[in-house]
Amino acid sequence: MSADIDTLLPYETGGDIRRRIAGSLAGFALRGGSLLAFAALLVFFSVAAPFFFTLGNIGNVLGQSAILGVLAIGLTIVIIGGGANVVKGGIDLSLAANLGLSAAVYATIISAGYGDAVAVAGALATGALIGAINAAAVVVFGIVPLLATLAVMNVVAGLELVLTQNTVVSASSDLLSFLSAYGPFDIPVLAYVLTGFTAIAAAIVQFTPLGLRLYAVGAFPEAARAAGLPVKRIVAGSYIASGLCGGLAGILSVSYLSGSTTGAGEMLLPVVVTALLSVVFSRRLVPTIGGTLLSTLLVGFLTNGFQLLNISSTLVSGIQGVLILLVVAATSLQRGKGAV
Amino acid sequence: MSVVTSPSQRRFTVRDARELVLRYAVIIALAGVFAFFSLATSTFLTSANLASILVNNFTLLAIVAIAMTFAVSAGGIDLSVGTAVDFASFSFVSLVLTGYPVGLAAIAAIGSGALVGLINALLIAGAGITPFLATLGTLFIGRSAQQLLTNGGNPVYLPQTGVPPLFSFIGHGHVLGIPVPLVIVGLLILAASTLLFRTRFGRVVLAIGVQQSVARYSGLRVPGHIGLVYVISGIIAALAGIILTSTVSVYIPNSGGAFMLNAIGATFIGTTLSRESRPNVPGTVLGVLLLSIVANGLLLTGLSFYWQQVGTGLLIFIVLAASFLNRRGRSD
Repeated sequence: MSADIDTLLPYETGGDIRRRIAGSLAGFALRGGSLLAFAALLVFFSVAAPFFFTLGNIGNVLGQSAILGVLAIGLTIVIIGGGANVVKGGIDLSLAANLGLSAAVYATIISAGYGDAVAVAGALATGALIGAINAAAVVVFGIVPLLATLAVMNVVAGLELVLTQNTVVSASSDLLSFLSAYGPFDIPVLAYVLTGFTAIAAAIVQFTPLGLRLYAVGAFPEAARAAGLPVKRIVAGSYIASGLCGGLAGILSVSYLSGSTTGAGEMLLPVVVTALLSVVFSRRLVPTIGGTLLSTLLVGFLTNGFQLLNISSTLVSGIQGVLILLVVAATSLQRGKGAV
Repeated sequence: MSVVTSPSQRRFTVRDARELVLRYAVIIALAGVFAFFSLATSTFLTSANLASILVNNFTLLAIVAIAMTFAVSAGGIDLSVGTAVDFASFSFVSLVLTGYPVGLAAIAAIGSGALVGLINALLIAGAGITPFLATLGTLFIGRSAQQLLTNGGNPVYLPQTGVPPLFSFIGHGHVLGIPVPLVIVGLLILAASTLLFRTRFGRVVLAIGVQQSVARYSGLRVPGHIGLVYVISGIIAALAGIILTSTVSVYIPNSGGAFMLNAIGATFIGTTLSRESRPNVPGTVLGVLLLSIVANGLLLTGLSFYWQQVGTGLLIFIVLAASFLNRRGRSD
């Protein structure tokens, strides 16, 4: 609620110089360090597990990361447009539930005997509708995004249960078998989908006037309004875009699992973490689409490397937790230096 | 804020009525769902069912939501309340299973809740990490830790026989005819309201929650108080872990997370009750009551279990929309 921007700054503890040094160290460690750490991780796994650094394995990791990546990119768009303050700023907690419902809609339409076109339209419309409801809740009713999307998440998750009766609706179609197959170079089609989708999203967010406006609205809403930007429409658009990502991820998930899934809600926290980690892979410590792809792959490679080394995969969520804390602690030290 | 003319001369306008309705949205919703389920089902308005709502639906969520109210009062949020519930539950079961006295096990359980809170406190007040991210980190690490402790997530059962009587007394006993969990919640509500609204500590916490920078410039010890808030939140959540375990006689890894989102919902529904839209203990309790009644009532109407979630979500949405429309109306 009233977690104002102050909470981003460390508390006054005295020792300004020490903090400044710590800040610039943290900044350096973050900027160059995160990429270096990522590279070191890849080298380590390649040495430790010979199969790790093969085209086939890398393709598999990309393919397995596709669903998480698409969702995290959706969330990144909302975070860019809503500002980085997690409580007051932009966040979409309904994304994982959205994936579940869109997947259920897709699978149900297919199993009812309709074609891929109808099913794709149904899943995307479901996602967009959920996004539109979030947008209305945030922009029209003025509900804090964290709470608005929390309530929508409950409704959507419930609707998915009502639709599927908590069972897996299996589905098979031409599109699904195409998506779950292998493409050129024996790399999963899902890997190409992730790469292509990231490229399109990055092109729009990073390189068009619309993307620049999205950043402006998120960082300085008052200034953006004064400059004549349609703030409300852009924020609403970011939620609809995120909803569409949920719908698309739903389709991918049906192809990956050959049916709907009952555990979509489990995706929520990994998605949030991935989108938040995006910040470390950008030079100015802001969320970017490319950064989100990198953090998605970081999580993907970690999981994969652990599997290859026979390390318990239960450690992955712990490592994700430690990563968030390291990143955020370093980020707040770094921000403390600038003292906004 | 509306312009204050002489109150005696002002007539009651449509605008006032609207504000009144929106302000008391929780109570109206509570009365509404109560009346609806009483009429719609023959089983809702029976003393047995009302008691079951309080014992089965209300108790645990109320405890966790009060823990959440502390964090939100201080301007933060605690996503790791479920982790504290889980760790308390795990320590409680393991120690009772190894033969330690129940009282000692309970103290250790509360200690492990406090430990989760202390980690949050160090991250938030010490390292200056935003509460949302710090507690999210704790949540993730706690999840891994529980899987490691239980060989990948196996539940820890207590045998049906040979359990110390005190253990089942916490979950199933009665004091003066009132179930023990309910007595604990009652005492907790009193203690929490007193601590937050009748002590110096509480006033400082509320001041930090309203405007942290002002509290800091006024010379209040902000980090210390914030840290303590998260420790308190962990301790309160641990109570829920103890009651949960003694009710069902089993610890299931990572089961406490289920409370987190509803606790946030109840706390923020509760803020609608305060003129300044601040979290408050009575509001939180009403919010939990609302969620409990809806969960129970929807089940009794014979609708599929799955509609519960839809109903609960819609209700939270409507109450929040009313409350935020009201705030917006006043700030215009």
